[in-house]
Amino acid sequence: MNTALVIAAKDLRHRLRDRSAIVLGFIAPVLVAALMSFAFSSVEAFHADIAFVDNDHGQIAVALRTALTSRELSDVLSIESVGSEQQAGKLVDDGDVGAGLVIPAGFSAAAVGDEPVGLTVLGSPDNPLEAQVAKAVADAYVAQLNADRLSVHTALAAGVPAGRTAELAKAVAGLRLPESVEARATGYRQLTTASYYAPAMGIMFVLFAIGFTAHSFFAEQRGGTLERISAAPIGRGGVLLGKSLAAFVYSVASLTSLAVVSSLAFDAQWGPPLPAAALILAMSAALVALTALVIAVSRTERQADGIAMMITFALLLLGGNFVLISQAPDLLRKLALLTPNGWALRGFTDLATGAAATAALAPALVILGMAALVGLLAGVIGRWRAAS
Amino acid sequence: MHSVETVPAHLEQTSAQVLIASRLAKRFGDRVAVDDVSFAVAAGETYGLLGPNGAGKTTTIRLICGLLRADAGQILIAGQPISTTATPAKKSIGYVPQEIALYPDLTARENLRFFGRLYGLHGKALNHRVGKVLDLIGLSERGRDRVESFSGGMKRRLNIGAGLLHEPTLLVLDEPTVGVDPQSRHAVMESVRSFGAAGMAVLYTTHYMEEAERLCDRVGIIDHGRLVAEGTRRELVAQLGEHDHIQLTATGDLAALADRCRGLEGIDRADVKDGQIQLLATEGRRLLPAVLEAAERIGTTVRSVEVAEPDLEAVFLHLTGTALRE
Ligand SMILES: Nc1ncnc2c1ncn2[C@@H]1O[C@H](COP(=O)(O)OP(=O)(O)O)[C@@H](O)[C@H]1O
Ligand SMILES: [Mg+2]
Repeated sequence: MNTALVIAAKDLRHRLRDRSAIVLGFIAPVLVAALMSFAFSSVEAFHADIAFVDNDHGQIAVALRTALTSRELSDVLSIESVGSEQQAGKLVDDGDVGAGLVIPAGFSAAAVGDEPVGLTVLGSPDNPLEAQVAKAVADAYVAQLNADRLSVHTALAAGVPAGRTAELAKAVAGLRLPESVEARATGYRQLTTASYYAPAMGIMFVLFAIGFTAHSFFAEQRGGTLERISAAPIGRGGVLLGKSLAAFVYSVASLTSLAVVSSLAFDAQWGPPLPAAALILAMSAALVALTALVIAVSRTERQADGIAMMITFALLLLGGNFVLISQAPDLLRKLALLTPNGWALRGFTDLATGAAATAALAPALVILGMAALVGLLAGVIGRWRAAS
Repeated sequence: MHSVETVPAHLEQTSAQVLIASRLAKRFGDRVAVDDVSFAVAAGETYGLLGPNGAGKTTTIRLICGLLRADAGQILIAGQPISTTATPAKKSIGYVPQEIALYPDLTARENLRFFGRLYGLHGKALNHRVGKVLDLIGLSERGRDRVESFSGGMKRRLNIGAGLLHEPTLLVLDEPTVGVDPQSRHAVMESVRSFGAAGMAVLYTTHYMEEAERLCDRVGIIDHGRLVAEGTRRELVAQLGEHDHIQLTATGDLAALADRCRGLEGIDRADVKDGQIQLLATEGRRLLPAVLEAAERIGTTVRSVEVAEPDLEAVFLHLTGTALRE
């Protein structure tokens, strides 16, 4: 155990001497995570102020207003009620609001009538995006209204008693906003891109360490220092333990420093410390096991580089480190759960969106299980190759 | 000459011997690297394994240091059996590998401290030993410099130093002067001599005949994995009897001249190599006129003649039929 610590300390010291190891382990993850979250944050940071003019005063207009001011949309939209279209137009022109939405008189009645209904959107060329959003909201709503109107109409035509049209209209008013508007704001708390890309990039960079560690193992073998270590009175287990420990500590340090820096610098949510630490530790154990596997199946530095590269990129692509997995197709999300990093990201995502600390337990255990399996495989292959 | 077929008698007197290797064998696939090799090294003795590249020196050493599993044979160091799994027994050995096995991006001191720790040294004792070793190898001034900034000779010396930290009873050096300038080589050999004088058992491999002659109390000659002869320089040379080693540098039909020489009475061997004819002869000086006459008759021009007392080179030539250095 003592010699394992000696070897681990030497490996870490060695790694800290290597500028590229510091860059890869500590600087690049922060920079890239920052870059990724800023690059993808324009959507998330978008917010539209919309002036709302209700010339209808009917049920459906109220329902629309309620829908637009719902908590789910409060991140994206702020609704300001204004008395008249002129007033709204002035606010838009002055840039006080991004767009205006005018509900024409007779809108509610029209919703159950024969004629299609329409909304007016006031926009300004200064805020084209906000006008677009207001228009999209309006279009989506109107489209659904028209569909409902059509169905009410059809129902009436099919012989629903005329006295029940009011009831139907009420049902229509209770209709939810179309999904497309709602989709952007699911979840209990919104997952910010920083909260996704900080762990995603952190895990990516520690996975790169697989190649780095395996490479240095074979470099030591070629250079003869590994043989020199083997000539000392220490068991093979001590050497392996020491090297694993160094890789583990490096990974934990890299992820932890990223968690601290990204939380402070760009508000990434890693969740409560304890479950986040559990995920980091489990992921680092998986990293050690994967490194052992690469070493077990390789013979030279070059082979180790190639195999590590393949494994790392396969894991990163499958695990969803490059895409916001919550927006990925179902199949991709399922595939991600074949990888330890996919599970880690799932755990971090859950924690970031305010799930209970116990939400990290299952991912951490699954990752540890995978690590054990891969480690076992590495051991079997290593033994088999040593014997042959 | 000791027979290598059976365990030599002196190997059984275990008390004085630090290292006893008996009947070691190792093959890699079909290639026999070490074939029934036995020898022993006593405390204070420097034993040289002399043989050309590929003779099996490194493999023998790796068996002795517990780095390779032997196919057959037994190794005792300070009375303890050695194998790849005999961890505690390895503490008696100081291993200096053939290549420079150091971390170039760590300093000399950091390298020494690391290897010292692997042998259980720590704290004051470790610091003390590191300082001592740096002194011994003449690198006290450079302890805080990274090894990558060192010259080849300095790296070689540090490579040796790393094997000395724990004051081993057996120091194993595998070709420690390869690729070293003459001055550093001299320094390396002087320090190896001092280790023996200090009571350490030293096992030294080399393919330089002069090193083995100058440094080693006893020499084992190894070729194709077999220990073909063993003894002190005097004992080995005595095997040649009253032989002289004659070297003729000549131009013309050397093969024909060699043939002619073989026919002369008193000449045991005649080999052509690199424009030279190597002769082993009893009372070589007396034969010289006959040799020169033969040369004249064939029409070869003899440019120089050198008659030497037989040395290990001659012994090697005599035993294996090839020169030590190709
Ligand atoms: N790991 C190995 N695998 C296969 N062959 C080897 C290995 N190590 C040494 N050999 C072979 O064994 C023979 C002896 O090599 P070695 O002990 O290195 O010789 P030396 O040190 O005297 O130059 C050589 O023919 C070499 O090619
Ligand atoms: Mg060798």
